[in-house]
Amino acid sequence: MLKIKDLSADLGEFSMENINLEVENGQYFVILGPTGAGKTVLLEVIAGIYSADSGEIVLNDQNITNKPPKDRPISMVYQDYMLFPHLTVEDNIKFGLDSEGYSNEEIEKRTKEAVELLEIQDILHRYPRTLSGGERQRATLARGLVMDPDVFLLDEPVSALDVPTQEKIIDELKKIYRETEITIIHVTHSREKAVRLGERIAIMKEGEIKQTGNSSKVFREPNSEFVANFVGAENIFNATSKLNNGTAKVKLKDEIEIEALSNREGKVKACIRPEEIMVSKTPIDSSGRNMLEGEIIEISERENTMQLKVDTGIELVVTITKKSYADMNLKVGEKIHLAFKATAVHLI
Amino acid sequence: MNQKSFRTLTGSFTFLMVAFIVTVILCIVTHTTLNALITNILSDEILFAIRLSLVTATVSTVACMVVAIPVGYALSRMNFKLKTLADTIINLPLALPPLVAGVGLLLFFGQTPVGKALETIGLKFVFTPLGIIVAQFLINVPFAIRIMKSTYNSINPRYEHVAKTLGCTKSKAFWKVTLPMSKNGILASSAISWAKGIGEFGAVLMLAGATRMKTETLPIAVYLNMSSGNLRLAIAAATILIIVAFLALYVLERYGGEAKIY
Repeated sequence: MLKIKDLSADLGEFSMENINLEVENGQYFVILGPTGAGKTVLLEVIAGIYSADSGEIVLNDQNITNKPPKDRPISMVYQDYMLFPHLTVEDNIKFGLDSEGYSNEEIEKRTKEAVELLEIQDILHRYPRTLSGGERQRATLARGLVMDPDVFLLDEPVSALDVPTQEKIIDELKKIYRETEITIIHVTHSREKAVRLGERIAIMKEGEIKQTGNSSKVFREPNSEFVANFVGAENIFNATSKLNNGTAKVKLKDEIEIEALSNREGKVKACIRPEEIMVSKTPIDSSGRNMLEGEIIEISERENTMQLKVDTGIELVVTITKKSYADMNLKVGEKIHLAFKATAVHLI
Repeated sequence: MNQKSFRTLTGSFTFLMVAFIVTVILCIVTHTTLNALITNILSDEILFAIRLSLVTATVSTVACMVVAIPVGYALSRMNFKLKTLADTIINLPLALPPLVAGVGLLLFFGQTPVGKALETIGLKFVFTPLGIIVAQFLINVPFAIRIMKSTYNSINPRYEHVAKTLGCTKSKAFWKVTLPMSKNGILASSAISWAKGIGEFGAVLMLAGATRMKTETLPIAVYLNMSSGNLRLAIAAATILIIVAFLALYVLERYGGEAKIY
């Protein structure tokens, strides 16, 4: 297990304060945060590239806080590959094993395993400048994996790639995780990648961890307005909550009250994820749901979905599938009915 | 001024500048015939000057690179107190007239206890070929350091970070990654140091003097022969200096990368 306790580091341009994280062995852990949050610096401090000012890094019960990078069983992959340009792919992969003084037999054996896992037999004798982005990232992953690290740090490993190549590398990452059962800490600013890959996630902002937990729980139950915004809650309202028979009556505006399953009372922020809201052209007859009626004021297309802005007295953002949108033939200015469960309303 | 007039103006200035430089060079190389030029180049005096220039410039270039490779790295990658001051002082010989640097060297080796101590162990720098090397070194090492610093600046430090996570110490990461990646900068830095070494005059004149067939490098040969009215030998030496300068600048343009900006 990797335990990070009260870790602080000030590198001038970036700093981080009191970072606390626990990553189980064999876990795929994602650190999600906006650009400039200090995610890369955190990875670099874990790898030992920069020293911590205070706090501890404990890996499998060994305090590695003051160990140099070469003495930490940790490999790191950067977004921009950092393959050594003066070496072929094969020599890049063997670089670490050679530096560590492994026997030729061991070097060949481990290289072969990594090359087969990443399926890069055809590019071994090529120099990095001749490779595509996807090939470079595969070679970089092989170079890190060949060291058989206890922890594999991935700094935005697919951000520099085009979308189809991103998909392929994400599949490779899943395959690596499945077949090696390695502990992975993956840094990204992409919510979608965090959900797809992370068993647990941490949300980071301005050098601080804002929330940690199971990815679906963090997305559904953000603990702050920043996290709610960052994980795409979209509908975040100032509201007043009153408890009544185990549910919370949440007043969003004078005439708009909804129900939430929460024990929070008083002034709150009410968050409703846009994909939790059902849309219908006719009134929805269902108990236990919050029901609102409104007018569509904007329709915009996303990669795989459609997004509606609906004025119900408050402005709600709703996400529906492209098929539902086509089936209902929705138009701006049209009246529609919205419904969402009390469990879909999260109070902060 | 419209776009066409602006293009015409800047283009004209560029053309005039190129024409001016080419004319000055042609004045030198066409002053004599090819046969006379070859004969003069093959004279004992010019052959001596070529040999002395080649040897001293090569040795001083090696010395420059031995210093420039680590110092350029320190100035590029490390943060330490008074770094800006150190950088400024290292660059000072670039702004000083070489004659002034030469006077400083003459006083250092001729008058100080260090200079005298070196002389007692056989290292005599004043009015000797050894002085030529030291003078070339002092004038050229700031260029070499500047180019190396610029080269390291252009190499992402993350290469070294990755090397460290792959079992390298800081020094091993430098030797195995940064240094091989700096090869174009090293080549450019060596080429400019060597060419400037061959052409160095002022500091060499002050420290090593201008003694025919003893401390007579190519620029000293130009100076001595111009002074004594032997224009043909002066032109032979000058032509070689022009060729050396052209080749060095070509290498710098070809391999210098960001290091060209100095």
